[in-house]
Amino acid sequence: MKKLFPLFSILIIAATLLAACGGGAAPAAAEKPEKMTVWIQWGDNPAQLQELFNKFGEANGIKVEVTAPLEADKIQTALNSSNPPDVLILSGGDDVKSYASKGFISPLNDVIKSANIDLTDFYAAPLQACVQNGDYLCLPWGNDIYALFWNKDMFKAAGLDPEKPPQTLDELVAMSKALTKIDAEGNITQAGFIPDFSWGHIDLYGQRFNGFWYNQDGTELTVNSDAMVNAFKWEQQFYCDGITPEQMLNLVATGGDYMAAEQLFYAGKTAFQVDGEWQVGPNFIPAIVPGLNYGITAFPVDSNNADKAGSGMVQGTVALVPAKAANKEWSGKLLAWMMSPEIVAEEFSYNANLPTSKKAAEDPRFAEMKGFDNFINIMANPATTFVITSPIQTELITEMTLVEEKVLRECADPKPLLDEVQVKFAPLLAESLKK
Amino acid sequence: METSAAVPKPVKGTRKKMTRMEKHNLRVGMLFISPWLIGFLIFNLYPMIASLIYSFTDFQGILVSQQVWYANYAAMLRDDRFWFAVKNTLFMVIIAVPLNLLFSLICAILLNLKVKGQSFYRVIFFLPSIVPAIAATMLWIWILKPDNGLLSTVLGWFGVQSPNWFLDPLWSKPALILMGIWGIGGTIIIYLSGLQDVSQTLLESAELDGANWWNRLRNITIPMVSPITLFNLITGVIFMFQYFSQAYVFARFASVGKADLIVGRPMDSTLFYSVFLYDKFTGFRYGYASAMAWVLFIVILLCTIALLKASDRFTYYAG
Repeated sequence: MKKLFPLFSILIIAATLLAACGGGAAPAAAEKPEKMTVWIQWGDNPAQLQELFNKFGEANGIKVEVTAPLEADKIQTALNSSNPPDVLILSGGDDVKSYASKGFISPLNDVIKSANIDLTDFYAAPLQACVQNGDYLCLPWGNDIYALFWNKDMFKAAGLDPEKPPQTLDELVAMSKALTKIDAEGNITQAGFIPDFSWGHIDLYGQRFNGFWYNQDGTELTVNSDAMVNAFKWEQQFYCDGITPEQMLNLVATGGDYMAAEQLFYAGKTAFQVDGEWQVGPNFIPAIVPGLNYGITAFPVDSNNADKAGSGMVQGTVALVPAKAANKEWSGKLLAWMMSPEIVAEEFSYNANLPTSKKAAEDPRFAEMKGFDNFINIMANPATTFVITSPIQTELITEMTLVEEKVLRECADPKPLLDEVQVKFAPLLAESLKK
Repeated sequence: METSAAVPKPVKGTRKKMTRMEKHNLRVGMLFISPWLIGFLIFNLYPMIASLIYSFTDFQGILVSQQVWYANYAAMLRDDRFWFAVKNTLFMVIIAVPLNLLFSLICAILLNLKVKGQSFYRVIFFLPSIVPAIAATMLWIWILKPDNGLLSTVLGWFGVQSPNWFLDPLWSKPALILMGIWGIGGTIIIYLSGLQDVSQTLLESAELDGANWWNRLRNITIPMVSPITLFNLITGVIFMFQYFSQAYVFARFASVGKADLIVGRPMDSTLFYSVFLYDKFTGFRYGYASAMAWVLFIVILLCTIALLKASDRFTYYAG
């Protein structure tokens, strides 16, 4: 028996080597999992999402479990654990680069190749948001874009052509003044445009002046650039030129909740509003104020940056595969299924959000929503950009919102305030990028 | 008579053995106390120690964190918003706490008068204090709405324009103080119990000696309820240092019609210490938030000790 031991050992080693060589020549298909997990950060309607993913499960004989919505802290913990979800869908791309730098997610290049995901079917701007140094860290799955809504009846009453919305930022200022009404007691009863209502749009205004608060790859802070200072000064006119912030705030205080008929734009107290594509979906304007006579156009541009006409800034949901996902091949298959035009059309026509697939955008369900095509056209515009993010995004946005409040409500000079932010946050950004 | 000689001195290194009954009692006692003990260890002691450790790290909710020693504490001192939060909190401690005490004492004195329907009035004054903080804040938001709120309507009858409580940083804290005064029922009840302990004999003697109402209040009633004042002052100061719920809901409404929520609105005027701590916590700055929590703990501890020390000068304990 002792003599046979070396022979057995050689045979076992040889068999192992042969098996390994065989695997290298043609990789064996990963075993089909019994269950897959999908985590969705935003899921307002978990039952609908579960129903959607059941279709993948039924087609492949796999149980797909959807968990939605999720707190961000759970996501971070799961990504670092040994049992993360097979596919993770985040509300936005803010944290993607940070996760990648920590090794929580791996590039999708191989997955895209093996699952035959057609990248040419994606709109350029949202896809670019997922790219870092040529690697695809995520894939966009549904997006948001802001455009300018205007009230045609208020235009008519002010003697303006209801079919001609402003094309430049100066025109918007002029029209806003023409649409503002002040009663004998000095109360504003109707405003033209309120730049920080109903969302903050400093990013969009900065882009209109050809700038942003980061450089192109988000590695340098540029909050006190001329573009950003000019954007704040432009906003300031709506609060401090010819009226006082107090007058404007007294009007704002009369507004109701975002989804209530008393909301300023819905109630006809302001003629313009910058808002997203969901407003034309079944849960917003058609449900809350069906009689509203309005139009939608891309946000006006600075006359010195006319090349941005018709464009916007895109941001939205992204899907990714955690680095420690148990079965990357099947994660890729699930991702490819999610990105197919039929599924994108089904999910985002239901939620009235922009489809990231060009083929999906042709689905008749989107055309049924009046005005939705405006948003698709803005997303397709070559000048449309994505919102650049960094690991300090949340705190920086809070700080910028505070600067905006001071600029608008105290008519403060934006330059020194933005200089302060630059001094405070530039080292924080550098430090966060080192981690 | 000396008795100490009768007591045997314990010999060093020896211990009296427990009887079987004592051991049994100890086991049973430990068993009964163990639910609280385990709960305390897991839910109180562990989080406290963990937060102290986190305060010296850059912990962001994931298992990789680096020791940063005092960096969180130093960053706090350099942060403008931190100092804004400190200023706002001190405003509430210095203005709102004394106002609450003053109104509570006045109400308690009135409710201590022997008038018809006294019990009914007491119930009416106590009721707001059992309304949950969030519900009470929502109620006040409707009262204070500048265009069609109850208060603005009443002020309008007299030709007075209501301030913009939610969007004007000058008026946001007064609005919160007003809401706080509405809910002083608990403090009133404590004062009321103190007032009922004030010696009637003393009051009657003073009256016979010619002391008027004000002199009796100043020289007898207020000193006699001073231990109650001390208690209410300490609990009030602790509450104000931890002020959160009302301010958080208020900021939500101060974002009138806005879809994005920034705590502290308007213009950080309602950014109190706990609100800012919460903001840091939800922003995954767990290290920074833990450092803030420990600073708050130490400040509250020092304030309480200082108040107790200073109380000798203004507190009178009968007997």
